[in-house]
Formats: sequence, C-alpha cells, structure tokens
Amino acid sequence: MTPATSATLLSAEFLQRLERLALLARKSQLGMAKGERKSKRKGSSVEFADYRDYVQGDDLRHVDWNIFGRLESLYLKLFQEQEDLTVHLLIDASRSMGFGTPSKIDLATKLAAAVGYIGLVGYDRVSAESFADGMTHRLAPCRGRAHAGKLLTFLSEVRADGKTALEDSTKSYVLRNRAKGVAVLFSDFLDRKGYEGCLRRLLQSGSDCYAVHVLSREEIDPPIAGDLKLLDSEYAMHVEVSASPSLLKRYKRNLEGFCESIRKYCLARGIGYIFAPSDESLERLTLDALRRGGMFK
Amino acid sequence: MTPWDQFWRNASNGLSSAFLAPPYLWFLGLVPVIVILYLLKLRRTQVVIASTLLWAKTIEDLTANAPFQRLRRNLLLLLQIIVVLFVALALARPFFKLPGTAGQNLCLLIDRSASMQTREGSELRMDVAKTKALDLVAAMQRGDRMMVVTFAETADVLSELTDDRAKLRAAIASIEPVDTRTRLRDAMFVAHSLRLTTPDLHAVIISDGNVADIDEIGPRFFASGRQATDESAASASGGYGLSFLQVGERAENVGIMAMSVREPVPGESGEHQALVSLHNAGTQTSAVTVTLSFNDQPLAVEGVEVGPGEDRELVFAHNALGEGILEAELDSDDALAADDHAWLSLRPAAKLRVLLVADPGATGTYFLQRVLTPDPRVELNTIAPANFAATTDYDLTIFYDAAPAQLPAGTLVFIKALPPVDGLVSEGTIDGPPVIATDAEHPLMRFALNPANVGIRSAVKAALPQGARAIVSTTGSALIADVSRGGQQIVWIAFDHADSDWPLNLSFPLFFQNVLAWVPRSALASENSIDAGLPLTLIAKPEVTTATITGPDGRTESVPLDPLRPVFYSNTQHAGVYTVQLGDVQERFAVNLLDANESAVGPSATLAIGSSELAAERGNVRRNREVWRALIAIALGVLALEWWVFSRRAWM
Repeated sequence: MTPATSATLLSAEFLQRLERLALLARKSQLGMAKGERKSKRKGSSVEFADYRDYVQGDDLRHVDWNIFGRLESLYLKLFQEQEDLTVHLLIDASRSMGFGTPSKIDLATKLAAAVGYIGLVGYDRVSAESFADGMTHRLAPCRGRAHAGKLLTFLSEVRADGKTALEDSTKSYVLRNRAKGVAVLFSDFLDRKGYEGCLRRLLQSGSDCYAVHVLSREEIDPPIAGDLKLLDSEYAMHVEVSASPSLLKRYKRNLEGFCESIRKYCLARGIGYIFAPSDESLERLTLDALRRGGMFK
Repeated sequence: MTPWDQFWRNASNGLSSAFLAPPYLWFLGLVPVIVILYLLKLRRTQVVIASTLLWAKTIEDLTANAPFQRLRRNLLLLLQIIVVLFVALALARPFFKLPGTAGQNLCLLIDRSASMQTREGSELRMDVAKTKALDLVAAMQRGDRMMVVTFAETADVLSELTDDRAKLRAAIASIEPVDTRTRLRDAMFVAHSLRLTTPDLHAVIISDGNVADIDEIGPRFFASGRQATDESAASASGGYGLSFLQVGERAENVGIMAMSVREPVPGESGEHQALVSLHNAGTQTSAVTVTLSFNDQPLAVEGVEVGPGEDRELVFAHNALGEGILEAELDSDDALAADDHAWLSLRPAAKLRVLLVADPGATGTYFLQRVLTPDPRVELNTIAPANFAATTDYDLTIFYDAAPAQLPAGTLVFIKALPPVDGLVSEGTIDGPPVIATDAEHPLMRFALNPANVGIRSAVKAALPQGARAIVSTTGSALIADVSRGGQQIVWIAFDHADSDWPLNLSFPLFFQNVLAWVPRSALASENSIDAGLPLTLIAKPEVTTATITGPDGRTESVPLDPLRPVFYSNTQHAGVYTVQLGDVQERFAVNLLDANESAVGPSATLAIGSSELAAERGNVRRNREVWRALIAIALGVLALEWWVFSRRAWM
C-alpha cells in the first residue's frame, strides 16, 4: 500500500526501494511486543539460544527430554525471543530549520519519513515528534506498514517555527518515551545553548542514537556580498558584516569546526553522525550516507 | 639620477617644478570626500538568515562596527580612490625632464650678443655655443627637424625648419658674435609663430642667460590663442617646450659702462670734461688702466682699482678738443674685450636751415620769428608764400597760412593750413575749442609741455589720416597732429596761433624748441654715441645721392640716399667708429656697446621668462615629458576594473 500523502514527501518508487532496507540496531533492546528482532529476552521463537537448569515452576514443556534421558538431569531449553524495535524520530522544527533551498525542515522530514517507513515495513514501532521551544507535535507510536500513511501525513505537516530548544525538548521526549530502540535526531544544531546537552539526554535514553546534521547550502557557502546586516530568524539579534573573501574564509573555517566538534562528540559517545546538506539528493543520503552511518542494512 | 628621482627632487622644491598645473592637485581633496561618502552610504542591506550563531563567532574578533574597520578591504573604495588620485595627478600635469630631442621639431635660439665674445680658455663663448648646437645637430634622429635662429639686438633666421644636417651645420658655423646687447623677444616671436603650425616645437635657448629684455617677454610673447594659454600655464610652471642650454663659465670682467663728454658753453672758454664709468662685474678686485685719447693721440692715462660689483667713474678734463673721436681704452686682461673700448664723436653743433613760408607782415609770422631766431643753431629765412619754390636746402620748413601743392623735403610744420597729405580732409571749423588731451609721449611734448590753459578762437576740424597721431586734441578733432608720411616728419597745427593766446604761454617757445630738436639733423648732431645695433641716420646733402660708410673693421658699404627723408643704416652691430662719406663731407659716428648687462658675463643659472624660471642645463638638452596620458589611461583601466568588480561583486 502506498499512502496517499506519500507523494508529497517520498515517491512511490522511492518507497519501494526503501522496502528492501531494514533498520539496524547495533545493540539488542528490550522490545515492547513480539516482533521480528532478537531480544535480550529468551522466549518462544524457533531459534535455539541456550540451556539452563530447571527450577521449580518452569514450564515443563520447555524441558529437553533428550538430555534428561541421557543425563537424568532436568535442563530447560531456551529459545531466542524476538521482539519489535522502537524507532524514535525526533525532528528539530525550530524556525532556523525553515531556511535553505530546499529547506532544512523539508529534508529532515523526508529523511525521517524514509527511516520511519523502513521501520514500519520492518514491523517496528515508530514514533515521531517535531519540536521547538514551547511547541511539540507528536505521532503516537505505531507499528506496521498500515500506519505508513499516518506517519507520512504527520511528517508532511511539520512546520518550522519557534526557537530552538534542543535539550529541553529531548529531555521531555526521553522522559515520556521509555522504550529503548533507535533514536534519530534531525537538527541543524544551531542552538545557542549548545548541542551537547541534547545529545547527552538522547544518549541517556539507552537507545541507539543517530544525529543527522542538516545544513542548507546557503549556510555552507553563504552567497552574501557587500555590507549586510544579518538578522537572526529566531532571536532579536543581528550581525553586521562587510563581506570579503577573508571573512567568508573565516566563516567557513568556523562552520567546519562546528561540524567537526559535533562529529567528534558523537563519535566519542557512540552516536552515529550523518552530515546532510539540504540540497543533497534524498536517495543518496538515504541509500548511501545513512546506510554507511550504520542505520540500515 | 633617474627621472623619478629628478621628479621627486623637483617636487620637493615646489609643486610648480614638478607639475605644470599644480592647482589641480586640489582635486585630491575628493579622496576624503569619497571616504566620507562611503561611511555615510554604509546603510547595510538587511538579510534574515537561519542563525547568526556562526557569524557572531566569525566576527567576534573583528570590531566590525568601528567606522574605519568598515572600510577595511573595501576594494571598490580603494579603486575609486586610486581613480581620483590618478585623475587629479593627470590634471596637475606632472612632467619629467628627459634627455634627448628625438622625435621633435627643435628651434635653436642661439645668442650672439657681445657677451658671447667672452674668452673661455682658448676659445670664445660663441664657439662653445656653436659646439653645443652642432652636438644637437649630430644627435638628430630620423624625422627630427631643426631650425636655427640667432639673436642679439635683433633676431635672424639662419635656417628654416629642416632635416638637412649639412645646411644646419653651415648655418651654425656661419654665426659670428656681434657687439650688441641681448634681446630675446624677437627670437621668441619667431619660435612662437612657428609653434602655431608646429605644436610640438621645442625651443632651445643657447645663451649665457644675460638677456636685456627678459622682462618684456612673458606677458607679450604669449599674448593670445590656444597655444598662448598652454604656454602661459607652462611658462608659469617650468617652461614647457622651452629649454635653456647655458654656456660659459667665466665671470671676471671689468668694462666701460658709460662715456660722455661735457663741452664748454659755445662762445666761452672752458674745458672739455670726459666722464668714463667703469664697472667690475666679477668677484675679485681688478686693477685696470684707462687711457683716454683724442684722434689717436693719448690725452691721459689713469690707473684705478675696481672692487667686485663696484662702479668707478673717472673724469678727465682737457682744453677744448675740437672735432674728432674721443676714445677710452681699458687695459685689462679680463674675459670680455668688447667692453674695453668706448668712443665719442665730437662734432660742432649742426646748423639748422629753417624756412618760414609766411606773409612777412602777419602777426603770426612775428611770433614765429621771435621764437626761432634766438636759437644759435637756426639760420632762419622768411619768404612770402607766393615766392615759395620747392627746394631741398632746408632742414625745416614752416608754412604759416599757406600750403604748397607738393610737399618739399625736410621736416614740415603747417600752421592754419592743411598740408597736402592724403586722407587729411577739412570738415569745417570749431569755435573756441578747449584743449582736452595731450600726448605726453610724443617728442614734441617733452618737458611736460601742457598748453591746457590756452585760449583759441577757432580751429580747423579735420579727419586725421590713418597712422596720424593727435598730439593735442579737442572735442572730436586734433589741434596739433603728427601726420608724418614715409619717414618725413610733418606737423599740422589746426589753428592760427596769432588768433590765440598761445604765444603768450610758455608752452609756445618750448613747443618750437622741441620741433627744432625733432629735426633729424639736430637730433643727429646731439648724439655723439650710438648704441651698437641701432641705426645711423643719414641725411642727404644737395647733389649727394650716395653715402659711403666705412665700418670699424674697414669694410666699406654704399648706401643710396633719399633727398626727401633720412635714410637709416642699420649694419652697426660692431662697436667702433663708422665713417660716413657724403660727397666731400666726412662725418664720423661712434658706435658703442656700453651695456652693463653684457659686461656682466657670468652665466645666469636661470632664465626668468614671464613668471617662470627656466633652470640652466649645462649638459644635454632635456625636454619636459608629460605623463598625464599614461595617468589617464591607468585611471580608465582602474575605472574599468572598478566597474567589473562592482558588477561581479566577487571581491566584495
């Protein structure tokens, strides 16, 4: 089934290609329900896991009677439990995400849609939330391909507005959603309070964390010239610049340092870091960058 | 020294030494104006961006709001300032002095005045000048043209503008120094007139720089026209198109500056007193001996020491000398020999033969006779108009109330009658004409003669012919006019002096004394010395049609005479005694240099023409080369670059 709203975010052809992918959890998590992923729990699947001594109260159906015949001891045969995976899609919807051609929020929602769709197809639980300062839009966890439409509709309605509040929003989300899984944060990380608190909160959730750093081409190569007064879209702040080659060089050096510091922060803490320019093709980012980042297999 | 070094050295001496139009440097004041405009126009374009977080970090070490930091590395501003700098410099017309004359039309103005006879080692200063001129000819390149003009009292064009080097060399080799003073004005006129058709003409003055008429050149020479404007600006700031190639080194010279003689009063016994004035133009005291001789017979010898810059006057007294040549000779081994001699021609006062054509019984005749007869020079004859017949026997003929059909010879005065001069036509009479204006410059009005308070009953009103000069004027007409024609002096008095109170006025006898002095013969008789280069006046005698003139160098020349008017002999460029043979009468004239300017033989470091000073150049001729074209080209290039940068804004 192809959701009616998918056309605005992802094409049907692209969705079909996504179906061949599966989310990769680097560590097994305790799921909320039976699913298709290995769980830390031992359960009732067909895949043998281990033996253990019988203790009183154990289900006799799980006793390995062949062992008992040879050894006259009761051993319980354990099987690998298979549970679902919770995919947390966190989208920074601050006003700064609305800039760029195409806009950063546009790319962030498309990427989130791709990840979410892969999760839904993989029978994982997918929850999504877009946030800014004082504004949060949530999509209740859903599971199964049937909810793909709901997910895409939710994401297509995400609008960038409000100030950036990465840490507060992440903290709130983590407190509300205890299920561990894969947490993917889409943001430009242009938060005056810094990005470290946000990533730390995300890491504390125990999920596999991914930080997708979205920047527009205008931020990477500013097309400015002359004497300008640069107004901040979120705060009543401005910067006066007289554009010159050296100033642009200095800005780019600053930007590279900023991106590198996030990457190093993530690397040191096992957070996957994916840099995503907003004018990069969705296909390349999804099938290449995110895949190489270890998110899919 | 490179041209740049020269330029900066000139600039340090004053802007006018490096720029032809330094006032335009005020345009440099536009530079701060542009900067201020940039500061004012920094109304920044507001652009909303996602976040200023990274930009704030980027510029946190730059004080971007400081006014002068705003201007930092603003390429457009820099380029605009460069454009203004170059345009202002181009307008100020900077120039370099570059050696050589390649690619130019050159006009050589070569001094051959008396000071060029100064001995410089084994040769004369004139020879040094000729060598320099020949060097310039040798340096001529293909396409160069040159003309040769010499100047002393007058200018002579020896060669027109030509590229024929042989002709130029021959012209230069033929230059001989003369004993006259230095007058540059005529030569400058020649150069200037050539510049009208040859704008790139460069004039080179080869001289020692002692020019008598230097003050007359500037304002007159560049009188009008486009070139005049250019030249005026140029001359005011360094002499564009004009170089002064200085020759000569020696400065030690003592010369005779003046010589005069005071004769005893006629009819009384007394002494001749001869005055000889010396001047030492050098820097060292010089001991000289002055020998005074009369007709080659020594009269007195006197030694004297003349300090540097000092004037000394020697007075020699002697009993009546009679007629002859009085000569003063300076025995001095100085640089210039031409000013070591002076001569005076002592002649008896000339008799003036005056004919009064008038009714002997008339009152006016009486007054005229009364003013003329007391003068010892005058031999007066009175004749009735009816008896008058044209003759060449009289130096002065006064027609009173009468006019002949044809003008007789000599100086003529017409009173109450119109002379038969073309263009002089009676237009009626004026009753009681007041004297309104007098021409104080005219020789007849010497001694501040002012007949302003003369009462006149009536005068003839007449239109003066072209070239006539009103000496005394009344309303709309002349009362006394000089209507001289073709060298013949003619005066017309438009009223009857007997019908006025003029004879009772002092101006009446003074006027007729001036008339007598004006007659060429008396003027000539009063001159016992003539400046070298100025003409001798030859007055015909009856039956003599040719004068034979023998110069001081022994050369003889015959000059045809005109019985009606004086003839001027101008080949008097060498000082000495000129003998004029008129039939059986021999007259001797003394021609002298007697010029302090020429005796000051020390070369001048500058030549001040107009309000500018040409610095002396001793080596090669160096011409001014302006660089405004290059500056404008650079300014245009920078302007194009500025436009390109503005349109691309790539470097902003």
